[in-house]
Amino acid sequence: MLKLIQVLWPSFLVAGLAEILFFTVINPQELYLLGTPVRFSPLATYSIGFFGFWLVCAASSLMTLFFQRTADEINHPEG
Amino acid sequence: MTPVESGGDDSLYAVRQKVYVRSVTGWFATWRWTLVWATQILFYGLPWLQWNGRQAVLLHLVERKFYIFGWVFWPQDVFFLAVLLIISAYALFFFTAIAGRLWCGYACPQTVYTEIFQWIEQKIEGDRNKRIKLDKSPFGAQKLGIKGAKYGAWIALSVWTGFTFVSYFSPLKELIHEAVTFSFGSWELFWILFYGGFTYLMAGVMREQVCKYMCPYARFQGVMFDPDTLVITYDVERGEPRGTRKKGVDPRVVGKGDCVDCGICVQVCPTGIDIRNGLQYECIGCAACIDACDQVMEKMSYPKGLIRYSTENAIKKHWGRKEIFGHVLRPRTLIYGGILAAICVAFLWGLATRAPLRVDILRDRATLAREVDGGWIENVYRLQIMNMTEAERAFEITVSGLENIRLEGGSKEFRIPAAAIESVAIQVQIPPDAARPGSSNPIYLEVKAVDDPSVFVREKSTFLMPN
Ligand code: SF4
Ligand code: SF4
Repeated sequence: MLKLIQVLWPSFLVAGLAEILFFTVINPQELYLLGTPVRFSPLATYSIGFFGFWLVCAASSLMTLFFQRTADEINHPEG
Repeated sequence: MTPVESGGDDSLYAVRQKVYVRSVTGWFATWRWTLVWATQILFYGLPWLQWNGRQAVLLHLVERKFYIFGWVFWPQDVFFLAVLLIISAYALFFFTAIAGRLWCGYACPQTVYTEIFQWIEQKIEGDRNKRIKLDKSPFGAQKLGIKGAKYGAWIALSVWTGFTFVSYFSPLKELIHEAVTFSFGSWELFWILFYGGFTYLMAGVMREQVCKYMCPYARFQGVMFDPDTLVITYDVERGEPRGTRKKGVDPRVVGKGDCVDCGICVQVCPTGIDIRNGLQYECIGCAACIDACDQVMEKMSYPKGLIRYSTENAIKKHWGRKEIFGHVLRPRTLIYGGILAAICVAFLWGLATRAPLRVDILRDRATLAREVDGGWIENVYRLQIMNMTEAERAFEITVSGLENIRLEGGSKEFRIPAAAIESVAIQVQIPPDAARPGSSNPIYLEVKAVDDPSVFVREKSTFLMPN
């Protein structure tokens, strides 16, 4: 549970920031997805964007957590 | 005296003992409730307010326009948003340096919603001791009823909170219509439940753990403190050695301090800490322990203020009020305050002088320059005219900078609807002998409001001559 929050929470905060910055600068109606203009409703684009950011940030948090493991933990995974 | 009763609660972080907060009344509690009311009337009420025949505050994501009372902000105004964030940050620094975590104790949504959720809990389940008993009692119809009522009330409040939150971004009128006809857009419904769910989770379940483990501010607030910062302090010298005693006994006679070790300050603490152990980063500065201890002191007929707002220096050097207030103004607060004031002035100045009209000029890339009737040379431009006011407005476009330069069909008037961008194509022509072939020449396009000549934009562009 602790690990889950450690991954999801900081990434949530940063994703919120990234979302605001990104969509202030970029209009969701002017985005292209694989060469065709995005046709979702703006609300859907904002939402998907947010979860996209969250996912990316969570991946980064996960890596941090992963690299934080000490040699001991890696050598003796059974604990 | 154990600080907190064990409650067998799921521990999300470190081993967590459920905190059963005892309710408290007093001067600071009144202030806290005043702020709960003020912030929540604002939060729940604002979307219902009308202005100029529209929602007064609406951060319209679909239109990409922020309506805030008389103003309409566009993505181009991101500067204001950035400055607003800087102001908030400095205000936080400033107030933290003066009196610690004022924000946390009185205004933070986490505190405010926890307080509201706790109030509901207390109304339905009773105060601390009753709740501890209820949680220990076996499951039965009565317990189920009480718990069900509490969770029901919490869920209702959360959903309403989520609905209110979304109504800041999607017009409330449409949302109400969707609510009564059960036709919510799927994303709107999702965000209502998402925000509502988070409210429930944070204020109902996680509570003080959010402040302890999830809040970035709680982690770095310490760097803004100095020995002259007002914080909630337990007067060790006066209180120790703590211990129980009979009422009416002079503590000095029995060799004790003023603290009767009743533990009430711990019971009222929303984060479950013992302030008598000194300043801890978990303390959100809610002052509940001050109110609680003052009541104890009153009952014992001791002077109030065993726990009080004080500073490190004041406790050490036995300062009174006057010296404490004398140290409010010091280099740190003056610098924070000075920067804060300067940015605020700049922000207001920016708002006051914000142009009601913006113009972007794009050259038409398809036709650079061409010859038209009578041998005149023509360039085509596309103007993006933004009318930032909330009334339709007529604008006149004129051109200058070269001899005999003219707009095709004379000067042009365009009507731009309220708070809208319109793209206007204009053809600029000059006689063939007005410029060298192949040259590029500076020209000026001027857009002026017909009803107010002080509202105008003059933009430079270039006029290309064919070879
Ligand atoms: S409420 Fe006051 S008297 Fe009671 S334990 Fe706390 S500090 Fe001591
Ligand atoms: S120690 Fe006192 S001021 Fe700090 S959080 Fe607990 S009750 Fe509030």
